[in-house]
Amino acid sequence: MTKPPPDQPQEAFSRRSFLKGASVATIAGTAATAAATAATATQGKPETFGPGTHEIQLKVNGQNKLVKVETRTTLLDALRDQMDLTGAKKICDRGACGGCTVHLDGQPINSCLTLAMDAIGGEITTVESLTEGGKVHPLVQNFVHCDAMQCGFCTPGMVMSSLACLQQRGKPTREQIQHDLSGNICRCGTYGRIFEAVERTAQGAQGGGK
Amino acid sequence: MTTPRQEIELAVGFGKHIEKRKVDVPDGDAPPWDANSKFTVVGTDADRVDGLAKASGRAKYTYDINFPGMLYGVIVRATIAKGKLDVLEVDEARKMPGIAAVVLLKEVGNKVRFVGDPLCAIAGTNLDVIRDAMEKVRAQYTTEEHNVDFLQNPEAPVLDGDGNLIDAWPEHEIGGVIAGAEASHEGTYRTEVQTHSSLETHGAVARWQGDDLEIWMSTQATFGVRGELARALDEKGHKPASVSLHAEFVGGGFGSKFSAGVEGLAVCLLAREAKAPVKLMLDRFEEHTCTGNRPSSLMQIRAAAKKDGTLVAWDTRSFGGVGFAPGGGGVTFPQHYIAEVQKRGAHKDLVCDTDPPRPMRAPTWPQGYFGGELFLDELAGKIGIDPLEFRLKNDGQVIRQEQWRMGAGKFGWLQARNPKPGSPRDGDDPRYLRGAGLASARWGGMGNHGGRTPHGCTCRIHADGKVETRSGAQDIGTGLKTAMAMLTAEELGLAAGAISVFVGHTADPSGPAAGGSTTTPSLAPVIRHAAWLARQELAKIVAQHLGCKPEEVTFAGGKVGAEAAAKPMLSWADACKLIGPNPIETRGTRFPNYKGEAFNNGVCGCQFAEVRIDTWTGQVKVLRMLAIQDCGIVIAKKLAESQVLGAMIQGISYALHEQRLMDKRSGRMLNGDFLRYKITGPADMPPMECIMMSVANGHTNTSSVGLGEPPSVAAPAAIANAVYNAIGVPVRHLPITPDKVLQALAARRA
Repeated sequence: MTKPPPDQPQEAFSRRSFLKGASVATIAGTAATAAATAATATQGKPETFGPGTHEIQLKVNGQNKLVKVETRTTLLDALRDQMDLTGAKKICDRGACGGCTVHLDGQPINSCLTLAMDAIGGEITTVESLTEGGKVHPLVQNFVHCDAMQCGFCTPGMVMSSLACLQQRGKPTREQIQHDLSGNICRCGTYGRIFEAVERTAQGAQGGGK
Repeated sequence: MTTPRQEIELAVGFGKHIEKRKVDVPDGDAPPWDANSKFTVVGTDADRVDGLAKASGRAKYTYDINFPGMLYGVIVRATIAKGKLDVLEVDEARKMPGIAAVVLLKEVGNKVRFVGDPLCAIAGTNLDVIRDAMEKVRAQYTTEEHNVDFLQNPEAPVLDGDGNLIDAWPEHEIGGVIAGAEASHEGTYRTEVQTHSSLETHGAVARWQGDDLEIWMSTQATFGVRGELARALDEKGHKPASVSLHAEFVGGGFGSKFSAGVEGLAVCLLAREAKAPVKLMLDRFEEHTCTGNRPSSLMQIRAAAKKDGTLVAWDTRSFGGVGFAPGGGGVTFPQHYIAEVQKRGAHKDLVCDTDPPRPMRAPTWPQGYFGGELFLDELAGKIGIDPLEFRLKNDGQVIRQEQWRMGAGKFGWLQARNPKPGSPRDGDDPRYLRGAGLASARWGGMGNHGGRTPHGCTCRIHADGKVETRSGAQDIGTGLKTAMAMLTAEELGLAAGAISVFVGHTADPSGPAAGGSTTTPSLAPVIRHAAWLARQELAKIVAQHLGCKPEEVTFAGGKVGAEAAAKPMLSWADACKLIGPNPIETRGTRFPNYKGEAFNNGVCGCQFAEVRIDTWTGQVKVLRMLAIQDCGIVIAKKLAESQVLGAMIQGISYALHEQRLMDKRSGRMLNGDFLRYKITGPADMPPMECIMMSVANGHTNTSSVGLGEPPSVAAPAAIANAVYNAIGVPVRHLPITPDKVLQALAARRA
């Protein structure tokens, strides 16, 4: 992924830092326990999680939500199965397709590779946030205007990766857009029109106009 | 049934090629559109009507259906490729925490036919507890020796070191024609197994209420799978009182989702036993290995031509690499070049112990067009004639003749073509070789009326001005919904966005499966018919109000009225207020295609590609592509272009990346995921353009022809030809991966 801008905390969550954390945790004993301990360490005494379910609080699209998860539950499953936020899709479940992309503290992540417990304390943003309160984000409008979809199953993930690209680069070049979307795949073949939708949004277009 | 008919004269054709032709139109059908029809909505750039639902993440696909208390289901599958099931114990699994149901899908003594053959299915409160339970299922087999390579089948032909068939051609007079011709050529071509790789995996949600069954399924055939499941459940002793099926949004299919599959039956049985709704969606490995594929192929072609490039003979023998049963492995060569020449063709499917094929976008065509079009470029090279000239000489289709010329001009064919194949273009870094190629597309897709049970469509106009158009058929991303809105809007003088469209629920009138490029051409005439009938009903009501004749009432720009009437035109909303509490409701009928010959019995297309080869790494980069394509009278232009562009991208994928790799020892797919099964990604994308041509075929009231398959036929062949032009040697085996390019370059130097 792209370099975070200077005002972003450097330890922002990423696939790499997750993997790094997980490997350390495995040595320590169980990955989930260590991860959960890290997440709640600010409360002073370490807690033990698992086996079985635990109620945790996640902040999703600005709202605090209580969900029951196991230590092994992914953020994707928590969003889809417990909060009915089904915009993030389960396509490969292995971090290879980008269909489950959401933002955690402003960074795009594969929610299928992120444990729900590791998202405690973070700001989670899903695709649904772009059409809240009757307003439609210009990027979503431009996806429609450019017909940047066919079956539509990869589209929410594409929207979230495109949003990150725009937020981090402002006016990305075509090459930068292709680079930033490289973690997302589409089977119907809608890439070209996705690039156009991102470019139109960067130019300030609202969609609909001709 | 005989319908009274009327003879109507239509202008059919395109551009300068317009002919008057009399067609036999069934009485009661909407008056047919032709080349002179003027449209306000049809053919425009209207947005996809469900675009916002999809891009906002709010569209609910089968995978997204959730119910309180819903359980999840998983299928346990065989881990061996061939043998017999001796033991299947599930009692331990059934007792695991969170497990609600286990159903057997195979009985002891049954054959195991491939890795992934289903054994049983388990339902539980979440996927994690089910995975724990799966480990408690015990299966034992008597294994038999397996084979997962079609060319290791005992009946497979023998190949030499270069991959060419060495068996002599069977005796036939065509051999003499080829031997005595002014020019001739021979080659063996090969393609690998491609998986459909729909992003939404196969699966369903089943909910029983008493004996009534409601299903949400990711399917291309709402009515077909409903019937299939009802019959299968009956056989299992669980005959449902009613079955209703939803597929409002479908995350891709490409031909793999015509059947309910074992997963469809399993989820209904699990939900029955668990007395709770169950969701069962396959995982990515199952999707790659258990839901069909485009089979591999081996094609040997020999043909002859005159010195001027006219083809005189075409002789082929081909083999399809199918799964555990024969069928579906054929190849289709570009028939439009060889319609008049002496021909022979033989084909055989070669079985191996894998998942069998299913239809995949233009089944059998991309393979045969790759082999056939590359062969023609090789033959053209031998004769010393430009590939475009060669096509123009042998392609009798007037539409494609126009497309070849238009495309060549637009693409800059002569400039893009490498005059010295294998040498760098002037000014290029000598590390890179560039070249250009072209190939043709063809398909039928004239649509059908549904046989004994003609397709239907409902149109409703409500007193509050809302308009509904409804079909039980499915839109798998092709754009049926948008076409429905545009056709209805055209009849009623409204904008496409003003129409509410409902598809994918079996409560609505039946329609075809999304296959063979038949959905839109089958349904467009009936959608228009329903709207045309509704318009007449509204015209009657408005005429009474205005004091004019119904046939004087016009519908345009959101206004309804009559110039001759004393009262002013009504707004759409005011006109609809006259309707009263019951909406106007009409049911369109799909009449059979008109008798007599259509202008073109199908569609035409051609594509051009320019590639750059890195001679150090062997990597092929597609630099740009162009497609020219018709689909009868174009309805939704923007969506039609999307479909063609998508087919070109899939074509790059098939030409350069995709292949199923099997582990010979275990019989298991080695790359059954998206990490190792490479499909074209954002970084691979070249600039692409698509030009849609409108052709009035005069075969139905809308002259619409299907578009799904044809553009996927040309793309891989055009790319293979461009690679040949760049490096000067053909790579006759798809995908054209770097290793094969380097091998070809080395062979050329040697």
